[in-house]
Amino acid sequence: MKGSRRLIAQALDTLKGNMERTGDPMGFKNDYWTAWAEGMGLARNGDAVLMTSRMYQMLPYVMKMTEMISKAKPIQEIEGMGKILSMGHRIAGEALIRWKAKGDTEITERGVRALRGAVSGLKAVGVTPGYLFEEDHYSGALLYDLGLSRYAQHQLTKAYETFKKSGAKEVIVTDPHTLLMLREVAPQLVGDSGIPARHYLELLAERKDRLKPVAPALRRKYVMHDPCMMARSLGIVDQVRGVGASLGITVIEPENTKQNTMCCGGPIEYAFPELSRGVSGLRIRELAKISTDILVACPVCLMNLYRYEKEMGLRVRDMGEVLYEAANGETPA
Amino acid sequence: MKTAEETRDMLLSELAKCRACRFCLDTCPTYQASAGLETLSSCGRLQTLRYLLMGMLRLDDSLAYILYSCLDCKRCEIMCKSKGQGLEITSLIQMGRALLSDRLLKGEEG
Repeated sequence: MKGSRRLIAQALDTLKGNMERTGDPMGFKNDYWTAWAEGMGLARNGDAVLMTSRMYQMLPYVMKMTEMISKAKPIQEIEGMGKILSMGHRIAGEALIRWKAKGDTEITERGVRALRGAVSGLKAVGVTPGYLFEEDHYSGALLYDLGLSRYAQHQLTKAYETFKKSGAKEVIVTDPHTLLMLREVAPQLVGDSGIPARHYLELLAERKDRLKPVAPALRRKYVMHDPCMMARSLGIVDQVRGVGASLGITVIEPENTKQNTMCCGGPIEYAFPELSRGVSGLRIRELAKISTDILVACPVCLMNLYRYEKEMGLRVRDMGEVLYEAANGETPA
Repeated sequence: MKTAEETRDMLLSELAKCRACRFCLDTCPTYQASAGLETLSSCGRLQTLRYLLMGMLRLDDSLAYILYSCLDCKRCEIMCKSKGQGLEITSLIQMGRALLSDRLLKGEEG
């Protein structure tokens, strides 16, 4: 694949530069990531603090950035691809992507609803987490995947320093990529922090009888797409189904499910959108054979499968969005 | 953290354990999406990384594509374990990337 070496080098350089400049992989300032929590009444600290790692908030920006890269096809044949990507480096924290992503109100709102739904679910079972707002740092998951371990180490160190400063005894995360970083990577890179991390669905599953079901009209039959990391690396499989049952929805299984789940293609979307689309295409067709309502529990899966909603007449929902429906009784657009 | 030399030696020793039995091929989503291109499979990536670290291959465009397109989904590891080998394939690829990313960031050739 012509240009791949330069493309990866530029992506690494962009990430490194953004992290050094702003502590954020997209190069944005902190205030963009906290708007979702407005009006939720979350305190700035607590025994348990929420870590979103900005994953759901990043959805419109990641989608816009990959769309811009995809449009530059055939990517490998463009003389000066490095220029386009280094332009990404300069604009990452600036107007162009932000302006373009602003038009993507639907995915922005979906991410917000997923986070608000997660918090509503936690409150329903008697847990009101603290939220560190601008100090809710990115976990460094992509940096680690790409081999930039020392930058991931820096991010994790910063995150744990903040947890300790806030007096948190536990961290509740909202996505599997972050949980894997805290649970498995952090002990290797920053040592044992003594602050355990849990996915909010693990917590909800333990108290699922206290969850409020969704309204009868919204009790759909969803085919489950288990996120790879959640199922294979973290073993969170039954918990999702248990929470789903308590919410009154029906969860059915596709051919490849639970520990044998198939990837959504999301992790390579940033650099190889064509191959990523090949992978997500295989998975979405498999899921669509079972149901037009698809349930995910990961922002990366949501983003990558959401793209097929209009094209294939599907409805892809994150578990956080179903929890949002349970709390608010609204049918998302 | 280990030095680059220690990581390389450890990786080569782990990579040598892959028997190239190829049972993992069909489990790999990128192998499936590329209609069976073996270099875009878990096994293909391990062999590529091995020869790269041994200095028999250069980190050119094709090899960057092969090594950085792993989804890190770990589907191959379930199969590897079931066949009695149990290699942590995606961790090996991640460690390989750590060595290569340093080189790419420094703009080193090859």
